[in-house]
Order: sequence, then C-alpha cells, then structure tokens
Amino acid sequence: MRRRTNEQWLTELRGPDPDEALADLYDLLVGGLKAALGGLADANIEDFAQEALLKITRNLDSFRGESRFTTWAKKIAMNVALTELKRSRWRDVSLQDLLDRRAATGRGMEDPQPTTEQVALQNMVRAELRDIIDEDLTARQREAIVAVILEGMPIAEVATRMGTNQNALYKLLHDARKKLKRRMEAAGLPPQEVLAAFESG
Amino acid sequence: MLARGDLYKLVRAVAGTREAEIGCDECFDQMDRLAEIEVSGSDATTAMPLVHDHLRNCEDCHEAYEFLLKATRWP
Repeated sequence: MRRRTNEQWLTELRGPDPDEALADLYDLLVGGLKAALGGLADANIEDFAQEALLKITRNLDSFRGESRFTTWAKKIAMNVALTELKRSRWRDVSLQDLLDRRAATGRGMEDPQPTTEQVALQNMVRAELRDIIDEDLTARQREAIVAVILEGMPIAEVATRMGTNQNALYKLLHDARKKLKRRMEAAGLPPQEVLAAFESG
Repeated sequence: MLARGDLYKLVRAVAGTREAEIGCDECFDQMDRLAEIEVSGSDATTAMPLVHDHLRNCEDCHEAYEFLLKATRWP
C-alpha cells in the first residue's frame, strides 16, 4: 500500500476518483481490526470495516489532524466493532433483571478470613457507604453504580437502557463518585487510605 | 447488600475520583493522539493526564483504547 500524508488521504478521499484510497483504507481497517480483536470477531471483521469506512468518509470534516489520519480511522473502526460486540454480548440482559438478580442472590463473603481489624474497617466503610448511597444519591445514580461499578456492565449498554448516552451517564457516575468521596473524607475515611488498607489485607 | 468484593470495587472507584474529569466524548476525541504518544515510547501519563485519568475510571473507554493501541502498533 502506498504511504500517504494526512493531506493526501483527505484530498484523495474527497476527490473525484477515491477508489484506490478507499480500497487501501479498507485493507488498513481490516488489518487493524484483526490485530486488535484477535479471534474475537473474525466472522464480522469485514462488516465492521465496511461500516467504519462509511462513517469515516461521511465524517472527514471532523478529523482535526491531531494524529495520523490512519490512527483516527482505526479509532472509528474500533468503536464500530466494540459497540457491536458489546451490544451482542449484553443483548439479553435487562437492567431490571440485573438489579433483581442481585437483590435476590445477595453477595457472598467469598474472601478468605480477613483479620479482625479488617472486618472492623470493612464494617465501618460499609455502613458509611450505605448511608451515603441511601441519603445522598439519586435513584438513577444508585442504579448506575450497581450496573456499571458493581456488575461490570458497559456504560454504553447501561446508558441505552436508562434512556441516555454514554457521556451523560459517565458524568452522572462522576457526580455520584464525588459525593461518595466527599462524605467518606468528612467521615474520616479517606478513600485512598481505605483502599490501601483493603489491598494490604 | 455490600459484600466485601462490592465494597472493594466501590472504594477503588471512589479513590480514583478527581474533582475535574473529562467525559467519554472528550476522551474519545483525544485517544488516537494518546495512542500514538504511547506507541512512540513517550509517557502517556504525563503527556495527557486528563485522558489518562479517564481511562482509569472508565472501563468502556479503557477497553477501546487497548484495542486502538494494538491496531496502532499494526502493521
């Protein structure tokens, strides 16, 4: 494949005869996706590359030239692939099921025999966090914390189910984390020190 | 309600919180540049601290960034 500067990519893709640049870009996206995803999605790689190619050519004006054009294009392709892979992985999981299942099963104390001091610290932190969560957080913040932080569901997937978008949900979670942090500090339980104590246990 | 594993996850998330954090959109806008900085061998932590912070706090963006790094190193 011919090496091109950012300017050459843009000129050719916008020009009257973009076929060669499109074919090269497609090959580049397929190669990048294979390198990144390994065997995760071999069957879908070409579909992802094709969809990414469409997005890229429609959004050339949003390329700001802060990286190589090819890195920017690969970023779009990764986003297309990951969005689809996550959607497929979590397709059958509803937020309500996730919350209900959690409430029904509880969570076991699976860790091996913490010391008495650790148990005391855990109990103190647990009580404080429970108060903050109950008193200071909104219902949406509580749902988001459980789904994203405790259950590990992707933010984008939770956002879809909560009728918002990934960026807005991140900000909602950030506000919740800030509240928790301030209250823990005010209660004499600085989160960094608590974390260090947990990790040394 | 909060078993020890949950407690650890929550405290870890809170401990990594800063007053000012960028959102996922801003992180996405800048992650191609960060990937090139990291692939070139420079220190990504100091080069773009806000993006780096976001990647520590956001599993979605972190995963996308890790894939982008692999794609950037290819070929």
